[in-house]
Parts: sequence; structure tokens; C-alpha cells
Amino acid sequence: MTLMFVALAGAVGCVVRFLAEYAVRRHHPTLRPWATVAANAVGTGIAGYFAYRLVSFGDVHLQSVILTGFCGGLTTFSSAFAIPAILQLEHHWRYSVALVVTTPLLCAGAFVIGSSLAH
Amino acid sequence: MRPHTTLSPRQLAFALMAVAAGGAYGTILRDLLLKIDRPFTGWTGYAPLQASSPWRAAQDWTHSIPWVLLVINVVGVYVATRLLRGPLRGHDPNDPVRLLVITGFLGGLTSYSGLFVDFDLLWHRSIAGCLLVAAMAILSGVLAAELGLKRWPK
Repeated sequence: MTLMFVALAGAVGCVVRFLAEYAVRRHHPTLRPWATVAANAVGTGIAGYFAYRLVSFGDVHLQSVILTGFCGGLTTFSSAFAIPAILQLEHHWRYSVALVVTTPLLCAGAFVIGSSLAH
Repeated sequence: MRPHTTLSPRQLAFALMAVAAGGAYGTILRDLLLKIDRPFTGWTGYAPLQASSPWRAAQDWTHSIPWVLLVINVVGVYVATRLLRGPLRGHDPNDPVRLLVITGFLGGLTSYSGLFVDFDLLWHRSIAGCLLVAAMAILSGVLAAELGLKRWPK
């Protein structure tokens, strides 16, 4: 039962990420990869908030649905590295390095902000 | 840069279904695989604030390395790069197969946020250990992507 909600939350997370990418790509095609970076940062921030918030509840199911499901679906590790690799193939070296370097930094910042909001 | 296209409402609905379907399966698979790491507890062990937790005192930081998620992520990066380099090469980003497999399935399978939740657990045990594992995660992602770009002899 929990697994079904986890899957549903994951699907919603993925759809939100896709819509962000789609909206950015429509209007600013060259900024497209930054939508993925933003989705990762926002998802990690939300995870930071709920990781601390849900400790007090101790509810495993809710944790699975929000952390593994929604935040996990919203964020992606595969695209975070695959898209820079393809950009590098297309000779956008600096762009590719900028994406790979900024994503973890932004995620770390978002996690700290998110978790501090939960205290 | 790839060309961008605007989708009609019907195409958009189809695209959303592809992403959702892929994402649901990817997330289920990740959730099941993560149980290898945390068989019963889920993230209930997530109590970096509770300094007195016996669970915390009993284990050193190497027990908190999220091996399963690290492996899932590396495999996801490799497969995604391989597909974008090979079969899905030059496809426009709205291609349903690409949305189903890359944006949906692999996007749902891999996770950046889960990694940071685990990093936080590590941080509360060993800051150096956490930084080491974080560097390892990023480096493994870069390596997997480079490996995915390579042309294999047939």
C-alpha cells in the first residue's frame, strides 16, 4: 500500500520536474539544463525540511512517500550528469562544468536552508 | 543545443503520462532496492539530532555510507548517457521514449535529494567522512558519464 503511494508521489515529482524543464525550454532553449539544476536544488531543500520535520512523527510510511517518493522523483542524478556529458560532446565545455559544479553546491545550500526551517 | 518545440495540449497530456509512468516505476524500483540498505527501519534511524540514540553510538560512520543509492545513481548516469549518445541521439526532448526512459524512469530511479539526506546522517558522525563520500558520489557520476560517452568496439 505504501509502495503505491511512493510510486504516485514519485510520478508527481517527475511530472513537476518535466513541467519545469518544458516551461524553461519553451521560452529559453539554451537555459534548459538549469531547470534540472533548479529541480534538484528545490527537491533537496524540501527533503532537508521533511527529513528533520518527520523525525518527530517517526512515521516510516510518510517518510517513504515524501522523501523517497516525491523528493526522489523531483530530483535526478542521471540527468544531472548525462546532460553535461552530452553538452561536452557538443563542445559546450564551460557550460557542462558549470552545471556539474553548481548542482551539488546549490543542493547543499538548499538542504541546509530546508533543514534549518524545520527546527 | 537541441531544437525546442511547443506541444499541443494532447501531446502534452501524452508526455505527462509517459513521464509519470516512467517515474512511478523508477521510484518503486529505487524504493525496493533501498530496502537492501535499510531492511526494516526506512529512515526512522534518521535521528542526527538525537545524540543519545544508541543506534548512533553503536556504529561508526562507515556503516552510514549509502552504497545502494550510490550504485543506483552511477548506473543511472551511465545508462542515461549511453542512451542519449546512442539510440536516443538527436531525438528532440519531447520524444515520448526519451520522456518515458530518461526523464521518467531514470529520473525516478536516481535521486539527488536522497543522497543529501544520507550525507547529513554522515555529517553528524564524521564531517571528513561525509565530504569524502560526497566527493566520491560526484566523481563517480562524472566517471560514469565519461564512460557512457565512450564508443565501444563492436
